[in-house]
Amino acid sequence: MEALAALTLAVLVTCGVYLVLRARTYPVVLGLSLLSYAVNLFLFFTGRLVTGAPPLAGAATPTADPLPQALVLTAIVIGFGMTAFVVILALRARGELGNDHVDGTGEKS
Amino acid sequence: MNLLLIILLPLLGALLPPLAIRYGRSASAWTAAAITLAALLFALGPLVAVFGGAPQEVHWTWLPQAGLDIHLRLDGLAALFVLLILGIGLLVILYARYYLAERDPMGRFYGLLLLFMGAMLGVALSNHLLQLLVFWELTSLSSFLLISYWHHRSDARRGARMALAITGAGGLAMLAGFMLLGHIVGSYQISVILNAGDLIRAHPLYAPMLLLVLLGAFTKSAQFPFHFWLPHAMAAPTPVSAYLHSATMVKAGVFLLARLYPALSGTELWFFLVGGVGLATLLFAAYNALFQHDLKGLLAYSTISHLGLITLLFGIGTPLAAVAGVFHIINHATFKASLFMAAGIIDHETGTRDMRLINGMWKYMPHTATLAMVAAAAMAGVPLLNGFLSKEMFFAETLHLSALGAFSWVLPAAATLAGIFAVAYSARFIHDVFFNGEPIDLPKFPPHEPPRHMKVPVEILVALCLLVGILPAITVAPLLAVAAGAVLNGPLPDYSLAIWHGFNTPFIMSLVALAGGIALYTQRHKLFALHDRVFPGVDARALFWEFITWLMDTAHAMTRALENGSLQRYAALLLLTAVAAIAWPFLNSTAPIAGPVPAAPIDALTLLGALVMMAAAVVTTVWQRQRLTAVIALSVVGLVVSLTFVRWSAPDLALTQLSVEVVTIVLLLLALYFLPQRATVDSSNLRRGQDLLLATGVGGGVGLITWAMLTRPYTTIANYFVENSLPGGGGANVVNVILVDFRGFDTLGEITVLAIAAIGIFALLDNLRLEMPATDDGGRPWSSERYPLVLSQLTRFLLPLALLVSVYLFLRGHNAPGGGFIAGLVTAVALILQYMASGIDWTQQRWRLQYHPIIAAGVLIAAATGAGSWLYDRPFLTSAFGHFHLPLAGEFELATAMLFDLGVYLTVVGVVMLILANLGKLTQRSAGEGGT
Amino acid sequence: MLNAAIVFAFACIAAALLLNFWRLLRGPTTPDRILALDTMYINTIALLVLFGIHLDLTAFFEAALLIAMMGFVGTVALCKYLLRGDIIE
Repeated sequence: MEALAALTLAVLVTCGVYLVLRARTYPVVLGLSLLSYAVNLFLFFTGRLVTGAPPLAGAATPTADPLPQALVLTAIVIGFGMTAFVVILALRARGELGNDHVDGTGEKS
Repeated sequence: MNLLLIILLPLLGALLPPLAIRYGRSASAWTAAAITLAALLFALGPLVAVFGGAPQEVHWTWLPQAGLDIHLRLDGLAALFVLLILGIGLLVILYARYYLAERDPMGRFYGLLLLFMGAMLGVALSNHLLQLLVFWELTSLSSFLLISYWHHRSDARRGARMALAITGAGGLAMLAGFMLLGHIVGSYQISVILNAGDLIRAHPLYAPMLLLVLLGAFTKSAQFPFHFWLPHAMAAPTPVSAYLHSATMVKAGVFLLARLYPALSGTELWFFLVGGVGLATLLFAAYNALFQHDLKGLLAYSTISHLGLITLLFGIGTPLAAVAGVFHIINHATFKASLFMAAGIIDHETGTRDMRLINGMWKYMPHTATLAMVAAAAMAGVPLLNGFLSKEMFFAETLHLSALGAFSWVLPAAATLAGIFAVAYSARFIHDVFFNGEPIDLPKFPPHEPPRHMKVPVEILVALCLLVGILPAITVAPLLAVAAGAVLNGPLPDYSLAIWHGFNTPFIMSLVALAGGIALYTQRHKLFALHDRVFPGVDARALFWEFITWLMDTAHAMTRALENGSLQRYAALLLLTAVAAIAWPFLNSTAPIAGPVPAAPIDALTLLGALVMMAAAVVTTVWQRQRLTAVIALSVVGLVVSLTFVRWSAPDLALTQLSVEVVTIVLLLLALYFLPQRATVDSSNLRRGQDLLLATGVGGGVGLITWAMLTRPYTTIANYFVENSLPGGGGANVVNVILVDFRGFDTLGEITVLAIAAIGIFALLDNLRLEMPATDDGGRPWSSERYPLVLSQLTRFLLPLALLVSVYLFLRGHNAPGGGFIAGLVTAVALILQYMASGIDWTQQRWRLQYHPIIAAGVLIAAATGAGSWLYDRPFLTSAFGHFHLPLAGEFELATAMLFDLGVYLTVVGVVMLILANLGKLTQRSAGEGGT
Repeated sequence: MLNAAIVFAFACIAAALLLNFWRLLRGPTTPDRILALDTMYINTIALLVLFGIHLDLTAFFEAALLIAMMGFVGTVALCKYLLRGDIIE
């Protein structure tokens, strides 16, 4: 199971990084989304893979680690804020520069 | 406490003179003087105690774990500097009142002067190396500001920058030296360091440490070869030159030598470095002083030379030499400050500082001339004046030195030679300015005596020169004894302050210097010609600027090489570095990547999920040019991520991820409308291959790290949270209790970040006009039906339902999955749905809320909840809770944390709505533009 | 008996999800894909409820509730985009 989790993250990161390296703003945004999924999952996995024991106090059995979960919860919301900011930045760049190249040049590279 | 006040009064008082200037120039000057006097008054008690033999010490704890505390100590050496700083400071304040012209901003001048005064007092009183360094840099900064006081003049700006560059670089070196010193001793406290001399000198890091510390001291005290900033600092107003660049700030370097003398001195390295640099400076600057035509330039080089003399004395390393060094600090401060003030008066009255023009001033200002001549005689080392006494001690010390073996004659000879030059430039100062015929083409003519009070500071200082020179035993002796005792950190050697020690070698050296100097001066015309021929325009300043230009060019070239403006390239470089940094330990380690924890079995459903997620991620990448399809694939990834959270017991995360997912889709679709719908292939195959390789490297690295982590044993710090969640936080949902209670402060920070991001986005959207596509990517025209009837009717029923879900999630969030973040997202999604189905106008007619105030209210409520616990004398964000019973609803619980969660909720709603609604309005605005 | 039923149900839903995903990959038109995504959301609801029954936990039922809502909103947004391009106007 651990190897599967690692492989999944590897694929997510590979796709994310490849997209982030593209020349147009839209794939970069997609790539950032994929990367933030991967990062959130990684942080979440630091609490290890626990089945069927949500971190609710009072349960008899030991529960999943609540700390990475709390961390990831805010990270997801902040991640949205960041994505929104990047998206708007891309729009603004399009509006000001008239193209959607990440360098604002509009040239092929 | 008084010690701290001595520093704080000028530092904080620096704000007052600029305010007092409204009530006139005198008011401003009086304010500055009153603050200085008050500081002197506070210093009086501790000073008396120090003279009684009891150093004063205070200490406040700040960050004891990091060894950072506030340590102040007033011993003899500090007492000497406090007296110099405050005493001469007071005289300079009085002098500057008359020196500064009507149009000069006097408030700023006095403010900066007080700032410097406080910083310098901090240097003198610090008993902690790093604290000393902070004040040290503050003196450099205030010196920069004071040199550039007349900032309309380019020479002032350049001089100020040069001074800052050199003293700042020295300060940086000194910081490194101090770190090493602190590392060697294990403490930054100076009084501890002073008693660890043997340990320090025997340490292998002694040499680099000493070199770095000395760099700081030498740059500050303008020692050769870092001397050249001081002559250019003469662009400052003369009171500044008198105060900072002769009496106090430039003494900070020698102060440091004196301060650390017991800890660092006594080695060959110290002797050759400090003594050598001191000697070189002494000779070089004394020689150069003679050839300056600028009145202040002469004084500046003479200052450098005297600083070299003091450095040399500390370098010699005998106790008597150190006493002489301290003595010369006192004497130099008095006669040089008075000389600068006299030079300022002459400049003020004649309008120039060129000695080739200023001649025969005796006729026009006999009073000033007398004062200046006495001071200049003290500088030359004429008997019955204070300069003579310390200089004779210096001569005597050079004779007693045996460290140079057969070359022992070098030092006395060099000292005498420097003495000859000193007499010669002093003679030039006297003769060239006050006699030597008539003035030539003065900008102001005829010059006359300055205002009465402008001369008072000069008179006081010159009187001191005479008093100390004639009656040393009853004037300066106690101060010298206590200061020298502090420098030596041990018993004082025997010395006598008498004027007449008999007809001995030092006296002969003095006589030779006097006679030789005057002889040299009479031959000056030949000498000047020779100097011009041998050293045509060798200027350290030019070298300095060349160096600076080279430095800037190199920096630019490096920047250009790394930064070509391509984001893709930066990202690739960044990632490549990251891959290398990750690969390095992997390649160098023999430990297996997988840890000892046995792998859990894979079940079919999880495998299916993982495969779908990976496939969807790949498909997103492959389809990135078909924009809409890529969004659909991306949301599959998001959906499976939420399922992953469920699979591994994180219901809160699943809820958050689901809601954020939808909000992100809406966001992407809104943006997509304004971006090209389809894209061609931009990059070459090679480029894509490279990128893919890099991406695989990064992905593989992350995969390996994840695998290595997951297969290693694991301990958690979360048990505390799980155990205390119910009894301490009053909630069963540990994740939510962590967010709103245990780590509430972090959450407060996070919602603040969100709010800032939203406001940033709002600002970016302001006035943005974008082109809107007329057809979809297939070339079909858009549907004419803006708000499909079925959709808009259906969603109206959904709104209350969705809001109910959000309230439900909010209320139970403390005990079961839910909470402010999730409830906020759900509310936002419910509202967004109305915007989509019924339009902005329809929704805003019924929902007349602005989103900015909601965000503000959210952050404020959260912060106020935190601050509320102060009312009960608890730390910020302490939560309280209680159980209540409501009929029908039953037992429920109310915690202040819920109020905090309400703040989170409001912020999230406000932020999401502000972003999406404003982005949505973009089309309205752009369409409106297009229509008209 | 219940266990066997749950396993069977899991298998069915897994098959359904796979087929949904297949449709999403194949298309051929965008509405096909949107529909596939929407159906995936619906199948996920069932999956979550089944998972809750399987583990005897109620903590995941809110997630199921939320998927129902969010899936709908997501589909609306995508469809509106197809229709008008401008989803908030």
